[in-house]
Amino acid sequence: MTARASYEAQRRRFVWAAISPSLVVLLLIAGLPTLFLLVTSLTPAALVNPASLGDFSDPLRNYKLLGGDERFTGSLWVQARLSLYTVVLQVLLGTGLALMVNAAQGRWQSLRHLFVIPMVLPPIVVAVIWKLVYTPDISPIYQAARVLGVALPALTTHVDFALLSIVIADTWEWAPFTFLMVLAALQNLPAEYVEAARMDGADAWRVFGHIVLPYIAPVLVVCTLFRLIDSIKAFPLIFLLTGGGPGSVTEVTNYYAYLVAFNFGELGYSSAITVVLLTVTVLISWAAMRMSRRAEGMQ
Amino acid sequence: MSAGSRLRRTLGPWAVPVVLLIMLLPFLWLLQMSFKPKELMLEFPPRMLFTPTLEHYVGLWQGGFPESFVNSLVTSSVSTVLALILGVPAAYALSRWSGRGRFGLGLSILLTRMAPPIAFTIPFFLAFRWLGLLDTRTGLILIYMSFNLPLVIWMMQPFFDAVPASLEEAALMDGAPWHTVFMEIVMPMASAGIAATAILCFLYAWNDFFFALILTRTDARTAPVAVVNFMNYEGWEWGKIAAGGSLVMAPVLVFSMMVRRYLVSGLTAGAVKG
Repeated sequence: MTARASYEAQRRRFVWAAISPSLVVLLLIAGLPTLFLLVTSLTPAALVNPASLGDFSDPLRNYKLLGGDERFTGSLWVQARLSLYTVVLQVLLGTGLALMVNAAQGRWQSLRHLFVIPMVLPPIVVAVIWKLVYTPDISPIYQAARVLGVALPALTTHVDFALLSIVIADTWEWAPFTFLMVLAALQNLPAEYVEAARMDGADAWRVFGHIVLPYIAPVLVVCTLFRLIDSIKAFPLIFLLTGGGPGSVTEVTNYYAYLVAFNFGELGYSSAITVVLLTVTVLISWAAMRMSRRAEGMQ
Repeated sequence: MSAGSRLRRTLGPWAVPVVLLIMLLPFLWLLQMSFKPKELMLEFPPRMLFTPTLEHYVGLWQGGFPESFVNSLVTSSVSTVLALILGVPAAYALSRWSGRGRFGLGLSILLTRMAPPIAFTIPFFLAFRWLGLLDTRTGLILIYMSFNLPLVIWMMQPFFDAVPASLEEAALMDGAPWHTVFMEIVMPMASAGIAATAILCFLYAWNDFFFALILTRTDARTAPVAVVNFMNYEGWEWGKIAAGGSLVMAPVLVFSMMVRRYLVSGLTAGAVKG
């Protein structure tokens, strides 16, 4: 009994010794900054005025300003549209690609991995690639259009097309994510389900609608949620391609917070914007976690 | 047979490579640009066959780019190693501990990975200005740890879950202390997982643009930021931009093909089993 007790004590000591350094470091580099962000959001902190960091005379000032800030509410709307378009397109395209590769049944097996290239590239390189495509002086597409006598508008600086240009680039970058997840799910789909349905005379569409789609649905939900969270972080593409413009048609909330903090120097107000963003992220992450647990439980 | 289905019959076998090629066209375009002589760059129709030149790469080598590249290498590797040293034992302990805190811990780790980078940037910027860590590699390493440490803890748990506990128990019954059991029995069995995790950490730090953009100026500037700077300062040097971009993505392509099996679990921070 004493051997057992000392074994347990030793075990507990080991667990504690293994976890506590990470816990301390995480508190220092993630917990503390989050707290600091909350505190800063209650001050009118500005880069030019260091004393403003400790000014708590009107703690809710920033949050009161948010409602009347048209650029902020506008940025939420841009964010919502960008998220909606990119997530829907990525999930559809990624699923389509996965179905295509899965239908090839092992042919081109080794090429499968090359589909993920856009996703693993450094985001800034993706932005550079699309800058090449969208810059009329150098882009082969614009050159081709010129030869054909078609005047293509400069997508990234046109009020109507700037957001579209971001959506295209972002979809290219992240459709492989859905592709990868859905392909993995499809490869686990028991072949006898599909065969049984075929025997009963179901055509390809009905097989898809009644068997494949329900089977991959939980994965699609998870993909949607993860891409939704990530779409809130959109930065390199907007930074390099449009700079939030023209005007503010591509200015998402994250980008606006960046401008407010590091171009206008209003750290306090930017913190308040970021707290709003963070809250949304927490809510979606929580949902994603719950849903993916359930998806795992179902499989 | 209708025309549509005949088309499908003939194109069907080639659909995968054709779609792949179309998809990768923008990427291949950047790659060929980096080898194209300056005078051919604006030519249309673009020449597909040309004598590749290394002039842009040589130009990079002679400019400030190597320093930035080294900065990227150092900050990514050091933050990876530190995250592993701290995170691997923690992951093991968590894997063997079935306490009630696991969902909460999982959620908080997921959150640190999902939070928009700006949330950490503002506090870090203020703290670094006060501590004199702006534009230093140390500063970048610290902030990279904030996403790499949670990644290690989360990624490594399933690998440790796969190591049968009976092995450790046998050794423990023989009187071996816990840390010996961990170092000599558990770690070797999880080495593949450690390698994959290390590569993913490295890639995350390497791919970072946002933190480096804000927290560095010249001394600690990383390669991704240096590439973008070719667009602002000396006019638009497309050759250098393409060459710099290609250099930044080269290690990423090699490494990510090595860990392709683990990409999903890395990207979703373990909320989904890959």
